[in-house]
Amino acid sequence: MKKRPSIKKRRTKNDVNSGISSVDQSNHESVECISSSLSMNIESIKKRTGHSPDIKFRKVDIGKNSGMKSVIVYVQGLVDEITVTDFIIESIMNSPRFSSEIMPQEAIGIISEEVVSMGGITTEEKWDSLYLSLLSGDTVIFVEGSNVALIASTQGGETRSIQESTTNTVVRGPKEGFTESITTNIAMVRRIINNPDLWVESMKIGSVTNTDVSIMYINGIAEKKIVGEIRSRLKKINIDSVLESGYIEQLIEDGTMTPFPTLHNTERPDVVAGTLLEGSIAIFVDGTPFVLLGPALFIQFFQSPEDYYNRFFIASATRFLRIFVFIISLIGPALYVAVTTFDQSMIPTQLLIMIAAQRESVPFPAIVEALIMEVMFEILREAGLRMPKAIGSTISIVGALVIGQAAVQAGIVSPAMVIIVSITAIASFATPSYSMAISARLLRFVFMISAATFGTYGIIMVFILVLVHLCSLRSFGVPYMSPLAPLIPSEVGDTVVRRPLSGRKARPKLTTADNKIREGEHQKPQAAKDTGMVNAFYQKRGKRGSK
Amino acid sequence: MEKAKISSYQLFVLMVLFQLGSALLVPIGMEAKQDAWLAILMGMTAAFILMYIYDGLYRYNEGKPLTEFLKDILGNFLGRFVAFLYVLYFVYLAARVLRDLGVALLTFAYPFTPLFVVNGIFILVVIYTVYKGVEVIARTGELLVVLEFLLAVTFIILIVVSGLIQVSNLKPVLEEGVLPVIKVALKETVYFPFGEVIVFLMIFPYLKQPEKIKKVGIGSIALSGIFLSLFMAINISVIGINLTARSHYPLLTVIQSIELTGFLERLDIYFLVLLVIGMFFKISVFAYAAVTGAASVFSIKKPSRLAYPIGMVILLLSIVIASNYSEHISEGVNIVPLYIHLPFQVIMPLFLLVIASFKYKKKSKTADEK
Repeated sequence: MKKRPSIKKRRTKNDVNSGISSVDQSNHESVECISSSLSMNIESIKKRTGHSPDIKFRKVDIGKNSGMKSVIVYVQGLVDEITVTDFIIESIMNSPRFSSEIMPQEAIGIISEEVVSMGGITTEEKWDSLYLSLLSGDTVIFVEGSNVALIASTQGGETRSIQESTTNTVVRGPKEGFTESITTNIAMVRRIINNPDLWVESMKIGSVTNTDVSIMYINGIAEKKIVGEIRSRLKKINIDSVLESGYIEQLIEDGTMTPFPTLHNTERPDVVAGTLLEGSIAIFVDGTPFVLLGPALFIQFFQSPEDYYNRFFIASATRFLRIFVFIISLIGPALYVAVTTFDQSMIPTQLLIMIAAQRESVPFPAIVEALIMEVMFEILREAGLRMPKAIGSTISIVGALVIGQAAVQAGIVSPAMVIIVSITAIASFATPSYSMAISARLLRFVFMISAATFGTYGIIMVFILVLVHLCSLRSFGVPYMSPLAPLIPSEVGDTVVRRPLSGRKARPKLTTADNKIREGEHQKPQAAKDTGMVNAFYQKRGKRGSK
Repeated sequence: MEKAKISSYQLFVLMVLFQLGSALLVPIGMEAKQDAWLAILMGMTAAFILMYIYDGLYRYNEGKPLTEFLKDILGNFLGRFVAFLYVLYFVYLAARVLRDLGVALLTFAYPFTPLFVVNGIFILVVIYTVYKGVEVIARTGELLVVLEFLLAVTFIILIVVSGLIQVSNLKPVLEEGVLPVIKVALKETVYFPFGEVIVFLMIFPYLKQPEKIKKVGIGSIALSGIFLSLFMAINISVIGINLTARSHYPLLTVIQSIELTGFLERLDIYFLVLLVIGMFFKISVFAYAAVTGAASVFSIKKPSRLAYPIGMVILLLSIVIASNYSEHISEGVNIVPLYIHLPFQVIMPLFLLVIASFKYKKKSKTADEK
């Protein structure tokens, strides 16, 4: 019993230091700080990076006749090579500022202050942080005789350009979606919210990958406690790699034992801006266009950015429709199974006779029929996703023919079942958030099985169970079902319906700090009281007519 | 006690759902004949007094649940013993409600399913809920009360539109004078469902604004009383007093008689949803009270651990409580109100209130002298 904690302790220590300890292994003589000898520095970088050919060393004489030597190190592909040649190599080589009297230590200062005409330039003495910046696309300048290196920010190279987001599409609204580059993504949100209170904090997560992770929030709107909670949960992460924001999501969510997502994700900057204004915190991860948003509430997964761009009647109707459709996608097939196997008395007689006639030739009980069709559909969907795009249409034709036509004609399933499954399938795509749609997909099978064993009673019981579970969830301490449960009357207007923008006086209570007021008084649009313009026109016309 | 807070609105919703729970579905106050709805209203009025007693009792022991302050009032040993009796009372009532539910499901929907299975499924969901704590029960109540309310409103609209209501069925009002109705009210309707709110003495300590208890309690009793009375009046006016008194589930009979435009008919699912939601909250609240009560009697630190064993006890008790439904019903009408409800809902609280007031006076006196 006594040994266990000590082993645990050692292991965590190793994890934390794994990056550094491997430095010691490969390069015993190197210390933490860089040396003043050029050749030693080059040698230790080469050793540390295993002589990788994409790390370029460019030896440059400083000035025309100072006699000082320098080495410029960068990673090919990560840097903008034009910047490196034009602004660093050329200016260092051709600068007239250098003469033989200048000491190496001074040269560093002169280069950074007078020679290199670039934005970001800093000095560095430690290997660890030097490697971090070198490998994230900065250029390192060593000068012979100086134990300080200059780091010029030259990040560049090929990235995907800003394109229309593929997962959250809208008819009306901005089309641009996030890219894989974290700096571009942060800039895209900054472009929407032009306010100094938009704060960004960044950190590196992943002992091997050293991935850039940033949290963004609006100071004064975001609740400080929640920001602190997210920050501390991020700091606690001790993992080798972060390849997508999903890694972060799974490590910081409130509980894993739930089918429901407790963090929102989006590919759209306007969604990020909108939720930031409601006090949420955005988590950007380098290398993925999906930005995490927390705390996330259940109802947020049914909000589309378009709800706020359309007028309130239309927006409310679609919002209502989406929630209705989500329930269909949950219990559609289950209801069919329950009604046909247990509660036939619930269907009007005519319809019952029709369904019974259809099911007469089907050899399976309703649940088997439903499971066959649902599993078939899941296979089709999964295959359609993974297929190369060129073959995608084949899948849809085969699926439509085999499932729609042949299965019915062969008497394996009844036509009513096909209708139910197709409605459910379409319904499951109407949920704006993919992560919520998948959880419905999973729960649908639970509902089907409960319906097959206990009929409508089973469905109601599972429904209550799911509801209880939803009510027990929290996202960063905020109850998942709020503002419905616990009920916050002033905020119910933005749940099942979306109230007119002129009535949206305050930000959500639970997630925002001091700055709660969204709009001033008298925002309700009104018709002009003076109809003089129109009347004058008519009067004029009337006069002309009389003439 | 767990660390939790519920708002006064949540408590209100929970109390309303609790009282409507099973009372909406079974015939109550049938001895008053067509004045049953009046008997319910009178029972409600009498229940206001009970609520005053419970509130007064809670005032003396603010921040503590019933099973805790029993120890303060009656001393450690006797207090624990009475608290244990209360736990048994809650478990017994939960089992009775569960039996009601199981039998109702078997009679109208699943004649071939064993009672044990139907009850078992239900108690599993209840166990999960109780395990999650009072906050979750309250929040679920907030969501489901909307559904219950929508169902009730559409039900009333459907009944009115389909023209089934015959007010003449309610006449003559007070055929034999007021006395028989009052008798029924005091013998029956005041205890079930209103007096059962004594179980909320276990939940009051979680309220955010303790000063609102009386308001919330009276309000919820009034609302559910009016609702129950309205539904009873509808039942009697639609199917007549004879059928209402004879039927096990008059509401089901009424719902089945709805027929509109040849399409809206056989709305049994209405009854099913009302039944399950109402019973769910009733059993959950009883089970929760039993769990926290047992935890305080036996000084167990984590009450939620008891959810599973007590749930199983409720399940088994619901099966063995009576050998058949007639026995169950006759116990419910003849024995439970007089020998179980009366002592636990009226006599014991009154007794406690008297002792507490003496103790409190003494304390304040000694405090003054000092």
